[in-house]
Amino acid sequence: MRKTLGLLFLFSFLAASLVGFSAYCQEDISFVGDSAFTERMRPSVPFLHDDHNEMANIEDCNECHHVWEDGKKLEWDSSEDKECSECHLSQESGDSDMDLIKAYHNMCKECHIGQKAGPVQCSECHIK
Amino acid sequence: MHDLYAFVSGPLVWVAFIIFFGGSIYRLVSMAILAKKKDGVVFEYFNFKYALRSIFHWIIPFASTNWRLHPWMTIVTFAFHIGLIFTPVFLFAHIILIKESWDISWWAMPDGLADILTLVVIASCVFFFVRRQVLPEVKYLTSTSDYVILVLVALPFITGFWTYHQWPESTFMGILHILSGEVMLAVIPFTKLSHMLFFPITRGYMGSEFGGVRQAKDW
Ligand code: HEC
Ligand code: HEC
Ligand code: HEC
Ligand code: HEC
Repeated sequence: MRKTLGLLFLFSFLAASLVGFSAYCQEDISFVGDSAFTERMRPSVPFLHDDHNEMANIEDCNECHHVWEDGKKLEWDSSEDKECSECHLSQESGDSDMDLIKAYHNMCKECHIGQKAGPVQCSECHIK
Repeated sequence: MHDLYAFVSGPLVWVAFIIFFGGSIYRLVSMAILAKKKDGVVFEYFNFKYALRSIFHWIIPFASTNWRLHPWMTIVTFAFHIGLIFTPVFLFAHIILIKESWDISWWAMPDGLADILTLVVIASCVFFFVRRQVLPEVKYLTSTSDYVILVLVALPFITGFWTYHQWPESTFMGILHILSGEVMLAVIPFTKLSHMLFFPITRGYMGSEFGGVRQAKDW
């Protein structure tokens, strides 16, 4: 009887911690939140960075965090230390918010359409 | 769903615009040829001053006697046409898609205003629908195609509103939105919606005849 109670206790403890852990994971949902967008027109885009790239089988960080030189993407360089807006909202080339939004949209959507997987419509990414 | 989206947002957009522009040119040219054959004097009487004077009076609310005689119809008609034309052209979501493809963009209206104009267009379509059923003199002139046109015009606005507010099945509604917009554009030259093309010409001709020949106002 003691043993059974003990086992039951252990079991419920495990179950409770599992539930607690997954709840913690759900709270960990991350969003793309470029600091350049001060006033937002649309709900932010849920984007679980590491899960996304694992699911999508993306190995190279510079698939997204790229570096360009003379109109060519550098194969071995990457820019994960920068936000996209640092380059795509540049003062010199007079970029507007529209240019930054275009960079995000083209990067995300072109791959999703090409691979026939992942969201492509406004309402699928900017989820209320 | 990806293939369907790629299809309606890619090739079908081109098809719709080609039918719209090609069909419009075809209708205008064949109308001109017909007029020349049947009633050549039409071209001689055409007078830009009188034509513009008449068009001007008819595109301003209450500037013609007929507008003043039917105040409700006038208000709804103008609100409807403003919403119908301005909303799609100055909608942020449309402009950003064009920016993504061709790197050009222009002023966008706030989404809240687009929401209001959209509701105005939908409500106007309901008004026109009821009017066709209720007023005997209008009902007499109404055919099934008039109702079909009203539905075709309302659909892009209903589905757009739906997907923007992310009501259930908004992905499907998004596709229906694109599709219904394309259908509406493509049928313009071949239905009564072609008054968009012919209004300046018929009105201009009336203005010319009334101004130049009868020396009277036509508004
Ligand atoms: C599918 C595109 C994509 C890929 C692939 C990708 N990232 Fe990111 N990453 C992003 C986006 C989008 C952001 C958010 C940018 C922002 O908020 O400005 C980001 C942000 C980051 C940040 C900043 C996080 C923070 O808290 O500010 C780091 C660090 C980072 N990524 C590292 C990596 C590394 C390392 C890899 C490769 C293992 C990688 N990324 C692959 C899209 C990607
Ligand atoms: C270190 C600067 C830099 C950073 C950071 C950067 N980009 Fe770029 N990106 C460029 C340059 C330079 C080009 C090429 C010139 C151009 O098209 O503007 C480019 C091109 C692009 C293009 C069009 C070319 C293509 O790849 O098809 C997209 C889309 C894009 N970037 C999206 C992003 C996104 C999204 C991020 C953030 C995850 C990002 N960029 C981060 C510099 C940067
Ligand atoms: C190099 C290709 C690639 C790029 C770039 C990319 N994605 Fe994805 N994404 C995928 C693939 C593939 C999937 C589908 C994964 C699956 O369901 O197996 C996906 C799925 C998603 C999903 C759905 C995930 C889920 O839980 O169902 C979201 C949200 C998403 N992507 C957001 C983004 C955003 C935001 C960006 C731009 C910052 C982006 N993606 C850029 C390939 C990409
Ligand atoms: C594949 C996912 C994806 C799709 C589809 C998408 N967006 Fe975005 N959008 C993003 C990401 C990622 C950002 C930039 C990240 C951030 O929020 O900082 C962004 C940024 C924006 C911004 C600037 C931020 C703000 O809220 O003001 C607007 C506006 C916007 N998108 C509107 C739209 C509209 C309209 C559509 C449909 C025509 C659309 N998006 C479709 C992913 C997407």
